[in-house]
Amino acid sequence: MTETTVTPERPLVVEEGETRPGFIGQNIPRKEDKRLVQGEGVFFDDMKRHEMGFVHFVRSPYAHARIKSVDVSKALELDGVYGTLTGDEVAILTDPFFELSTPPGANIKDYALAVGKVRHVGDPVAAVVARTRELARDAAELVEVDYEPLPVVLDGEQALADEVVLHDDAGSNTVWSGTFDWGDFDAALADADHVIRIERLHFDRFSSTPLECAGCLVEFNRGTGQWTIYGNHQMPGVGAIWMAPALRVGLDKLRFVSQDIGGGFGNKITLHPQFTACCLLARKLNRPVQWTEWRTDQHTANTHGNERTFLDITVPVKADGTMLGFSVRAIDDCGAFPRYEPLGCIIWAQVTPGCYRWRNVRVDFTQVCTNKSPVAPNRGYSRMQHLWLTERIVDIVAGELGLDPVDVRKKNYVKQEEFPYTTPNGCVYDSGDYARCLDVALDLIGYDSIEEKRRDAESRGKLLGVGIGSTLDSGTNNFGQSMLLNPELQFSGNNEVATVKLDIFGEVVVTLGTVPQGQGHETTTSQVVADILGCTPDEINVRAGHDSYWNSHAGFSGTYASQFAVTGLGAVKGAADKLAGEMKQLAAAVFGVTPDDIELAESQARMKGNPEAALPFMALGAILNANNAGLPEDMDISLNVRHVYRPPFEKPDLERKYGNLTLTYASQFHACVVEVDPETGVYDIVDYAAVDDCGDRIHPQIVEGQVHGATAQALGAATHEIFTYDEEGNLLTPNFYDYHVPHALDMPPLKTGYVESTSPFTPLGAKGMGEGGGAGIHAVCAALQNALGRRGEGPIVWRSCNPYHRVWEMLEQPEASRRLVSVESR
Amino acid sequence: MLLREVEYARPASVQEAVRLLAENDGARVLAGGQTLINVMKARAASPDMLVDLNGLDELKGIDLAADGTLSLGSMVTYSELIASAEARARPIVGDVCAQIADVQVRNRGTIGGNVCSNDPTNHLPPLMVALGATMHITGPNGDRTVPAEEFFLGVYMTAAGVGELLTRITVPPGKSDGFAAITIGRDGTCIVNAAASVNGGVRIALGCVDAVPVLLRADSPDAVGAAVENANLDPPSDVHASGEYRRHLAEVVARRATAEAEGKS
Amino acid sequence: MDVVATVNGERYERDVEPRKLLIHFLRDDLDLTGSHVGCDTGNCGACSVIVDGVLVKSCMMLAVQADGSTIETVEGLAQDGELNGLQQSFSSHHALQCGYCTPGMLMSATALLRQNPHPSEEEIRKGIQGNICRCTGYVNIVEAIKAAAE
Repeated sequence: MTETTVTPERPLVVEEGETRPGFIGQNIPRKEDKRLVQGEGVFFDDMKRHEMGFVHFVRSPYAHARIKSVDVSKALELDGVYGTLTGDEVAILTDPFFELSTPPGANIKDYALAVGKVRHVGDPVAAVVARTRELARDAAELVEVDYEPLPVVLDGEQALADEVVLHDDAGSNTVWSGTFDWGDFDAALADADHVIRIERLHFDRFSSTPLECAGCLVEFNRGTGQWTIYGNHQMPGVGAIWMAPALRVGLDKLRFVSQDIGGGFGNKITLHPQFTACCLLARKLNRPVQWTEWRTDQHTANTHGNERTFLDITVPVKADGTMLGFSVRAIDDCGAFPRYEPLGCIIWAQVTPGCYRWRNVRVDFTQVCTNKSPVAPNRGYSRMQHLWLTERIVDIVAGELGLDPVDVRKKNYVKQEEFPYTTPNGCVYDSGDYARCLDVALDLIGYDSIEEKRRDAESRGKLLGVGIGSTLDSGTNNFGQSMLLNPELQFSGNNEVATVKLDIFGEVVVTLGTVPQGQGHETTTSQVVADILGCTPDEINVRAGHDSYWNSHAGFSGTYASQFAVTGLGAVKGAADKLAGEMKQLAAAVFGVTPDDIELAESQARMKGNPEAALPFMALGAILNANNAGLPEDMDISLNVRHVYRPPFEKPDLERKYGNLTLTYASQFHACVVEVDPETGVYDIVDYAAVDDCGDRIHPQIVEGQVHGATAQALGAATHEIFTYDEEGNLLTPNFYDYHVPHALDMPPLKTGYVESTSPFTPLGAKGMGEGGGAGIHAVCAALQNALGRRGEGPIVWRSCNPYHRVWEMLEQPEASRRLVSVESR
Repeated sequence: MLLREVEYARPASVQEAVRLLAENDGARVLAGGQTLINVMKARAASPDMLVDLNGLDELKGIDLAADGTLSLGSMVTYSELIASAEARARPIVGDVCAQIADVQVRNRGTIGGNVCSNDPTNHLPPLMVALGATMHITGPNGDRTVPAEEFFLGVYMTAAGVGELLTRITVPPGKSDGFAAITIGRDGTCIVNAAASVNGGVRIALGCVDAVPVLLRADSPDAVGAAVENANLDPPSDVHASGEYRRHLAEVVARRATAEAEGKS
Repeated sequence: MDVVATVNGERYERDVEPRKLLIHFLRDDLDLTGSHVGCDTGNCGACSVIVDGVLVKSCMMLAVQADGSTIETVEGLAQDGELNGLQQSFSSHHALQCGYCTPGMLMSATALLRQNPHPSEEEIRKGIQGNICRCTGYVNIVEAIKAAAE
């Protein structure tokens, strides 16, 4: 079932307290909002403990240096300093974190603090704990570190040469490399009428920079040997898998708690080094310790998105514009430590041919370390970089061959009747209608009259450009893809947990395994449960946040990879269905009928056809929990049910690197109009439309909010957000002054539209979503290219981020990028 | 975020402020704090003492003299200046202040702080130079005045020396002024800016192309482009712009500021 | 140094180091944790509060400078647990996701609407230009302020 909705001017709002059947699909008020608009959320930094100490990390001023000595004595002499931790201690007290890669990456030793060497500016060398935040920093300044500076390597391609090696244990900067070869690329090349070659494209470093930086408050219980970590890790289950073995304890010794988290976007998945240091300090000093990362720390030394260079791109094309596939050599720069990597070396394969029916793809992929900040799975992780490549390919090919970018897309898109569509590497695109989505987007920007607008812009001395970005937001990972990198890894499939109970006074309580950071999980959960139990969302109490002690999580729990609507709500639905069954069973026993005779409606369990015979939820809860004498002995119910949702996945075929890597494919189609001032290279986005198809929408307003936010992040990444380093490895954009994220004045008005292509594979017909904003980067690049040149002339937009100075350089020297592209026509 | 230890003094008069500055080598004036406190957060500067000028009414006030001279207290905030009816006598001053940073910064940031910090990306140094403003300085040796074009000595350095403070800025009468800037995004860091004042000839002051505003004179608006070209600017390169790009933009913004001054934009 | 300030109608007196920023005074000393810290350069506006009627970023002001002042923070917006019109509008227009920028954003919007009860869209965007939101793209924030002004 496919339905097009263009968002009304005002969002549809249901008044609080209003009840109506079927809450799924409605814009009910968000449960989270009441506390957040009053400043009553609880973020980690809001918590205090008696006698707690504040942690400050001593950070490296060098991008690469040997640590000759660390002297903390002067810091310890300062009044109010509670203690310190150094790399030498860490090397004794912990084991290196588990690495996901095969050798050479597997041999990298990554600790909570730098051991022996520092490998990027900001690399933590020691930690100091003191009575106040200010004092901790004062003391950190007194720690004397003697460094022997080493040569640095800051470029992925240069790192390949291994002239400067970051990790001596690995002996190479290469973390992982492999080739992927699907279809028959050589045959496609032989069959082509045109072969387009692109020498180089580069996806720049940026990060979605959540407004709340990282941090935690850690308590150690000496009696039980247990740590409680109140922090903003967005994937604590995986965090524990890293931390517990390093700390040489069992997983249950680490309790993760969070309530509200100020945005994550993937940047809070790899906090295990800092959290481990805090655990060691809490134990060593026998007091609660609190670490707050500041903005400059986050930019210099927490996480960036993956930077990727694409070389020797070759695209075989038929005379009619049909593209047969592509080949590429990709070099991914993961910074100083792999951490979540090398998963990015395979995640892109979820969307191997992009939105297109390309059957022949050959990718030679290598990931390297450089003396820059480590990376983390930033929103759109690894697929964003790859889809930028596919979209650049389409627009460059169209530009060189004089094809219309709309026609050539429609010709090459997977067609609506072809779903479910199996890609050359075995992924199954569940549903969609790409051509139609594109039409909706083009309508929204008035594409039919674009030439008129172009003439109008020209009359004002401006160059107008229009560009399209089409992407996929693949959600719900099959972790079996990790085995394509390292067959020894024992990860596959996926899971998520929810627990739903009916309490003694009839209160419905839901506990999630996820770790929300603004996605409205409490709200959408209450919609699903209310529909199943026949009550209102107001009556559903969804616990805020995450706590390992709730025992409502599983191996892959967390909030990442566009999957809550599938895995999270799948678990919620499963648990609520089970609870509904138990409630009917209990009511049936009370009334002496069978469960089939009972229905749940109007917050009651009642007999079908006889609504007078009804038990309110409170009665059910009270009977089972507190007044259960006389109930049938064999009635095995608890009214407290836990459900694990497990998506249907197989392990991939390792030989062919073939298999279904994700369950759902939401699709995004963005259209962008820019006006460039040719005199300065300054440009404005003057019109913008984003169309999203994420299957059935649970809460359209939340979906639209995700589209807005992801788009804004993409527009920032396309225009100004870039992590730039100097020759010595100092980050030149370490704060919001030099790293310009979109402000309210920068954002163009966003038009949104929707198509709903129900997913045939998911419990609610919904697809995970939220990470498709990368389309904005593609659309801006395409629009700039369209504005700056015409067929066969003008510059090639070959980088993902194009600040004004790059646009001006392209205008001044079009040949510099033009020579990156060649066409061979037969 | 975390400052080094610092002493704090809130003098009751300008005289007391001058005395505090004279008596404490490591003392620095705290005006609006919208630059200094950030610099202190980064611990890039750590004065021993902050002499807070907030609350000194002597340094407030916007007065319009009969001859049209505008007198601006150094502790006038951008927001006060934007809202001032008197300041509309030279509209460019309020118009440029409205382009500085954001509401919160404009509410606390002061014109004195802007010129005295002399960050090359600030808007007011080139504006004051182009307008031919006069800077009034007081110190242990009494009061003195310095023309704006001689006030700016280097990056973060001005003629208001150790122990001195800026009390007022006077702007001569005039109308035909213009300002243009290229910033990162609509309101981000400035790449290049220019202020122009047309009065027969043209005075143009360029910002962000050197350590101090570069003052150029052209006989007529049409000669502005050539004047910039002949200035042989050698602007610095940084993460936001190459020297070459800045040099190019300098000419563009100079022309645009001049066109605005002529009422042509 | 001794600091006496009235915050959301309540008088507080504390001894603070001169180097303490107003935001840390509010959050750490007074436990008013609604105002947040999102940067260290005065760009993000998550710490915005109103001091003596003037909207400021409390990370660019020392606590000692607030001695004798009257401060309004997000905690003072709702009365007796009832959201005010602006807060309600933020919720009904989905103007917040993670909620981290929201307190500062609400204070900027409050200051704007006091000064200009019927702002245009451009005026709204200028009114919140000093507040960074990384979740919403500002679309619904602008809508919420517009609606609250009507």
